[in-house]
Amino acid sequence: MQSFIDQWLPIFYEAIKDTFLMVAISLAFSVLIGIILAIILILTRPGQPLQNKFVYQFFNLLINVIRSIPFIILLFFMLPFTKFVVGTSIGVEGAIVPLVVNAAPYIARLIESSLLEVNQGVIEAYRAMGIKTHQIIWNVMLREARPAIVLALTIATISLIGATAMAGLVGAGGLGDLAYRFGHLRYETDVMYVTVILLIIIVQGIQSIGNRLAARMKKD
Amino acid sequence: MNCADIILKRTDDNIPPLKNRKAGRTSMIKLENVTKIFPSKKGKDVTALDNVTISVNKGEIHGVIGYSGAGKSTLIRCVNLLETPSKGKVWIDGIDLTKLSKEKLRQTRQKVGMIFQHFNLLKTATVYDNIAIPLKLLGVPKSKIAERVVKYLEIVDLVEKKDSYPAQLSGGQKQRVAIARALSQEPQVLLSDEATSALDPETTNSILELLLKINAELGITILLITHEMNVIQKICDYVYVIENGNLIEQGSTIELFTKPKQPTTKKFLNTISQRKLSDRLVNELKLEGKVVRLTFLGENTGQPLLSKVTQQFYVEPNILTANIIELKNGIVGNIVVHLIGNDHQVEQSLSFLQEQGVEIEELGVN
Repeated sequence: MQSFIDQWLPIFYEAIKDTFLMVAISLAFSVLIGIILAIILILTRPGQPLQNKFVYQFFNLLINVIRSIPFIILLFFMLPFTKFVVGTSIGVEGAIVPLVVNAAPYIARLIESSLLEVNQGVIEAYRAMGIKTHQIIWNVMLREARPAIVLALTIATISLIGATAMAGLVGAGGLGDLAYRFGHLRYETDVMYVTVILLIIIVQGIQSIGNRLAARMKKD
Repeated sequence: MNCADIILKRTDDNIPPLKNRKAGRTSMIKLENVTKIFPSKKGKDVTALDNVTISVNKGEIHGVIGYSGAGKSTLIRCVNLLETPSKGKVWIDGIDLTKLSKEKLRQTRQKVGMIFQHFNLLKTATVYDNIAIPLKLLGVPKSKIAERVVKYLEIVDLVEKKDSYPAQLSGGQKQRVAIARALSQEPQVLLSDEATSALDPETTNSILELLLKINAELGITILLITHEMNVIQKICDYVYVIENGNLIEQGSTIELFTKPKQPTTKKFLNTISQRKLSDRLVNELKLEGKVVRLTFLGENTGQPLLSKVTQQFYVEPNILTANIIELKNGIVGNIVVHLIGNDHQVEQSLSFLQEQGVEIEELGVN
């Protein structure tokens, strides 16, 4: 037991660090892009004051197209683009670009549906007060949708952890890669079990934190 | 007979105060020939408003009443251009809103407060923040915000709830917060979109009293829409009746309560009190004498007119229903009476009553 810990602890530590790094960086970029996309969709959708059929349909289609591509295909399909953007297509840096491209449209959809849940009456009340649209987006829509957005991002974070496992295929490292390389390819089943247990703990933890945070923000 | 005397006797302590009414002649809100057509995909356009003209004088409270789908909601949303009229003009304090740029319109909207049926408060913000956030966004200096929030929370009597969230408040309290939010921007006009429709009768009354107070003390002009006649009765100076997008009748509240012309208006009046008797009953009673509705107004209600009828014309009045309605600016008495006597006597007594300024409507004549 002690020897197992001595042997594997640095490797697990490294893998956990890589997973967290990949998830955190790609989540940050995806949320940023996702929020912007969601706001564009919300503002330009038919029936809204800034409705614009062309812009709405363009982004709607773009999101659907990207979301249709399986991540494993996206990963390889994007290799040249990744290399162009970050200078390498392997390792943590190499994984982040496809992870963002994968997660941003997904997060955009989740945030869009959270924003659609915001009471239209409140938005109208603020319009009637003569408050600017961009102020309404920040102070009414995003504010009121916060609990729903937190829950949505919890879901997105967890599926991002799943996606990082696949990113192992382009040599990104992380827990998923560890389980695959040692556990699956080298039949070191105890490594696989430990990895899976670690992932369960992480996923459970993130979901609990998300639930609690959302509940605290929700005031009804 | 005694019964009639009691009802007709004017009780002075029930008269709403008039002293604070600053009814000016200047028009604060004016819709001029406003038409709103909603295009529909199937080619059948819906005309929600058809050539409607209304004018609300500064400092008055005007009400628009109609059934759901009549177009009253579209009408009030046209006032601050939440809905852009297809035709016609909208004036607020002498400014034609339909001609303003987006930016100017946004600024002008700040003069027009609005309250809603479902309150439309931020769920995630406290009572204090619900009022403070719009003030901050509208550029009120930080140092003045706290002072203003407290000032208007005091007016709506909710200071002690300032740290509560809307979910912890009752419907009436939420509406008070919404009213404080609207007032805190110190508007000249308050639009009320069915503000009491989601409230129980008692809470409705307290909100109506608050609106009266705001109108009297702050001099804010109020335009409200409602489907409840008691809202009109209690606070409106002037009424518009709207049906199928058309303005079918308008007049001062007293006029409307004493001389309603349109069947729809009469239907609305029937909701206030049990005014309607069954045709069968009326026809049966009519065999002997006449069944009439007498509507009294103001000073006339102080006179025991029916006693005089008995004394002078030997007509026996039998009261079928009677009620008294307190309007904002006066009292209207309403009696349905079966006048028993010979035709000549009945006619004489009716013309006597008419001379005394009583509105007479004979029932059971088609």
